[in-house]
Amino acid sequence: MSALLEVQNLVKLFPVSGSRKVVQAVNGVDFTINRGETLALVGESGAGKTTVGRAVVGLIEATAGEIWFDGKRMGRGRNIRSSDIRGRIQLVFQEPAESLDPRIRVGETLGEPLRYLGLSRADRDARVRDVVSRLGLAERVVDQFPLELSAGQQQRVGIGRAIVTKPELIVLDEPTSALDPTARAEIVDLLIRLQRDLGTAYLFISHDLSTVRFLSHRVAVFYLGMIVEEAESEELFARPLHPYSAGLLASVLLPDPKLKQAKPIMLEGEIPSPIDLPSGCPLAGRCPFADAQCRLALPPATAVGLTHYVRCYHHDRVAALDHTVDHFARLQADMNKLLSAGAS
Amino acid sequence: MAESTKPILEISELWVTFPAYRAEAIHALKGIDLRIDQGEFVGLVGESGSGKTTLARAVMGLVPPPGRVERGRVLFNGRDLSRLDDDARRAVLGHELAMVIANPRAELNPVIPVGRQISNVAYYHLGMGRAETDRLALNMLRAVGIPDPERRFNAYPHDLSGGMAQRVAIAMALICSPKLVISDDATSGLDVTVQAQVLDLLRRMVGEKGAAALFITRDIAITAHFCSRIAIIYAGEIVELAETAAFFERPAHPYSIMLLAAFSHSPVLRARWTRVLSDGETVTTGGCTFAPRCVRRQNRCVVEAPTLRHLTGGRRVRCHFPVESDTA
Amino acid sequence: MLLRYIARRILYVIPQLFGIILVSFLLVKLIPGDPAVMMLGPTASEQSLAALRDKMGYSKPLWQQFTYYIGAAVHGDFGSSWQTTRPVTEDLFQRFPATLELVTFGLLAAIAIGFPLGVAAARLQSGPVRKFAGYYGLLAGAIPDFWLALVLIFVFYTRLGWSAPPLGRIDMAVAPPKTVTGSLVIDSLIVGDVDALSSSFGHLVLPVLTLGIVNAGPILKMTQTTVTRAFSSEFVRYAEMCGLPRRVVLRQAVRAALPAVVTIISVLYGFLIGGAVLVEIVFSWGGAGQYAVQGVLNADVNPVLGFVVFSAVLSLIIYLVVDLIYFALDPRTRG
Repeated sequence: MSALLEVQNLVKLFPVSGSRKVVQAVNGVDFTINRGETLALVGESGAGKTTVGRAVVGLIEATAGEIWFDGKRMGRGRNIRSSDIRGRIQLVFQEPAESLDPRIRVGETLGEPLRYLGLSRADRDARVRDVVSRLGLAERVVDQFPLELSAGQQQRVGIGRAIVTKPELIVLDEPTSALDPTARAEIVDLLIRLQRDLGTAYLFISHDLSTVRFLSHRVAVFYLGMIVEEAESEELFARPLHPYSAGLLASVLLPDPKLKQAKPIMLEGEIPSPIDLPSGCPLAGRCPFADAQCRLALPPATAVGLTHYVRCYHHDRVAALDHTVDHFARLQADMNKLLSAGAS
Repeated sequence: MAESTKPILEISELWVTFPAYRAEAIHALKGIDLRIDQGEFVGLVGESGSGKTTLARAVMGLVPPPGRVERGRVLFNGRDLSRLDDDARRAVLGHELAMVIANPRAELNPVIPVGRQISNVAYYHLGMGRAETDRLALNMLRAVGIPDPERRFNAYPHDLSGGMAQRVAIAMALICSPKLVISDDATSGLDVTVQAQVLDLLRRMVGEKGAAALFITRDIAITAHFCSRIAIIYAGEIVELAETAAFFERPAHPYSIMLLAAFSHSPVLRARWTRVLSDGETVTTGGCTFAPRCVRRQNRCVVEAPTLRHLTGGRRVRCHFPVESDTA
Repeated sequence: MLLRYIARRILYVIPQLFGIILVSFLLVKLIPGDPAVMMLGPTASEQSLAALRDKMGYSKPLWQQFTYYIGAAVHGDFGSSWQTTRPVTEDLFQRFPATLELVTFGLLAAIAIGFPLGVAAARLQSGPVRKFAGYYGLLAGAIPDFWLALVLIFVFYTRLGWSAPPLGRIDMAVAPPKTVTGSLVIDSLIVGDVDALSSSFGHLVLPVLTLGIVNAGPILKMTQTTVTRAFSSEFVRYAEMCGLPRRVVLRQAVRAALPAVVTIISVLYGFLIGGAVLVEIVFSWGGAGQYAVQGVLNADVNPVLGFVVFSAVLSLIIYLVVDLIYFALDPRTRG
């Protein structure tokens, strides 16, 4: 079965005003998403993940590369406004308050995308009611204004607006970053339930690594506009092979004082600017394993195992580091124990 | 000696109220009791609307009008800051009591170079000359790990990345060697790797100066690794207060468990601890404020508000039916 | 980099000026009134009128007139005024300094009145100063400047006899000083001519006061608004948290409010070059605005166009200076 979304060699350059330089936001990115599956893009801000998300949805025109949706090529005439694509790809934003028009009632906001699909008024209303119940919101929310809702509820409406057209793919750009922890958990539960019920695929862009591990089937790690590692979610968290992935995972703080991360990798300094990238591996300036080869040429994507790809000449050294304990798994085991006891 | 055991911060029965137009006043803080000893790191965890920022401001004596302290006391190093006159309070803030803010690029002055801003804090508090405070500021820039500090001294806030701006904010907070540092969600906007670096830096530098710290945050995971004691705040009240290790071993308040459950990957287990507010249900006055969302709620909870009482091991919980560790 | 910016701005002036002249030219041609009739009087014969029109070029098609005008303007020839019978450039060079002197000092007075009051109104939550500032801001915009001028003349000249008569810039008996800047007061100071100084200063007082009082209103309101906003901005809150002394915080807040105030001052300045004309007329100031108005009333096209061009150039220079001030005030604009 062909993949739902295929991105090949995507490149996006932004000109810097007042000079000839360009910001190399996205530098040759390849990935695929199958139907009903979740691919997460993780990485620091400025790494290019948001740009990729917008290019997939068609909000930005790619500089080079190809995007194939459902076997058909996108771009130049065919985009999300085309009649055969309309409504099949949707986007959820980070700031719920900013993406909802404060002067329009929730019911209208939810029904708006359906107007362009040519549904009758009665059909629209039925669909909106269906979505509201899937979102776990009370029916009267339809008549309320966004500002009357909590942040978590507003984000549900944002998701509702995305699912109302029954899309096959939803791009979620940091959907939980602005929320409190409990609201975050509710949204994650909602997303899982929706995927199970509707079979939607997700492109999940986030820097919240614990959520990512939970929600995604596959994870792609971004650094300076390219994917440095891609693997199945549990595999990546248990056995990261790229120095950057290892460093990233080691920085995540988990709510258990016993789980002090071993810090096998120390990444010096900060992410450099995406203007004027040097040739060679983008991490070379910060990586403890970097050598002349790394600085000279970009490592190719090497397959390690069936579905695990990494761009590093020294991934075997990373594998040899002490990862005997997958802290994320340990935490879940402890959590399960804690939560199983004591409820009424 | 008695002096050294005096707590650096002592909050007793603090009530902060915001009057509402033609409606009942909003109690942002309801009877807060909290003590921080010298050199101690305490975490305060709450979600938006819990009152944690109001608490930070109340400690500094800067509750924004029309809000005001209705009852209770905040003693910083034995003095009530809200009762001091303006000049006396300004002498303490930034000097003995400092705050590391959440969004430094928005809160630093955009038209003054960062080195000069750090120097200003020292200049107006320590009574030294400009040249000396500039030198001190440069040393601070180096100490917080900003590369190329001589050049960065003249940079403006918008020239810096989020992580570097946060380091500048830390430098500004620590340059006068405060006795208590309050971090108000100081790492919330930062990337995970930068957050880890910044927190490590903060812990190291505050510890070096022997200062105490109050980490106010939405992210309970931070407190697991940086605090010796942890307080959970909900709707203006402290609902649990415990030593960190004991807390994470076995949290007692249902809300604390809910906060931790947010990290769990099991929706089923999470659902066990989450009660959805049904339509039209509101908080009844007189009962426990958490009762509407509590899965362990009984009749007593709806009519009688619990007090912050002692459990075993120095822990305090505001709950009639806390989740005890495996005893009885 | 700065020089490149200035060079680019000056280059932009050319198309801007062209556009301004084109629009003004067309608008001016819409002014009712036949200049030939104005010049020769209502009893002139049709032939002489036609001959005059031909001579002045008014019978030619518009675009030709425009091209001719532009061609001459590039050489500095803006035609002549048929009222004064002198070249417009000459007339303007004689009159502009008067207007500039009046407007500059008037605006300085407005700043001196409006700015401190605005800051005070922002700082004080209550009290007589704040109330006064509130009413003042409200009313100042409603006061017609010529009315205020007449009132001041009535009070200070007619009744009290304190001020000089409202007839021009200097007593007729006193010889004006040598022209250096064109401003009588400054030139008297430079040359050291006490008589001229006291006379010209005396004549300046009332008109400057008029402009100052009227235009302090918007400056006050803008200052009050931006300083108030600066005080609730995040960096002021942070400065308070750092325990910086009150006067330091005030200074920082005011500094942050400056760009907006500078903007409104520059807008006022550009406006007043032509907008001070009523005050000029009341005080018989002999300024350029007066000159242009007479051109309009008498369908004398060249002075009007000449005035438009001159004040457009002045405005563009002012805006360039203001932008440079912005660069100095706010480093964020330099990026």
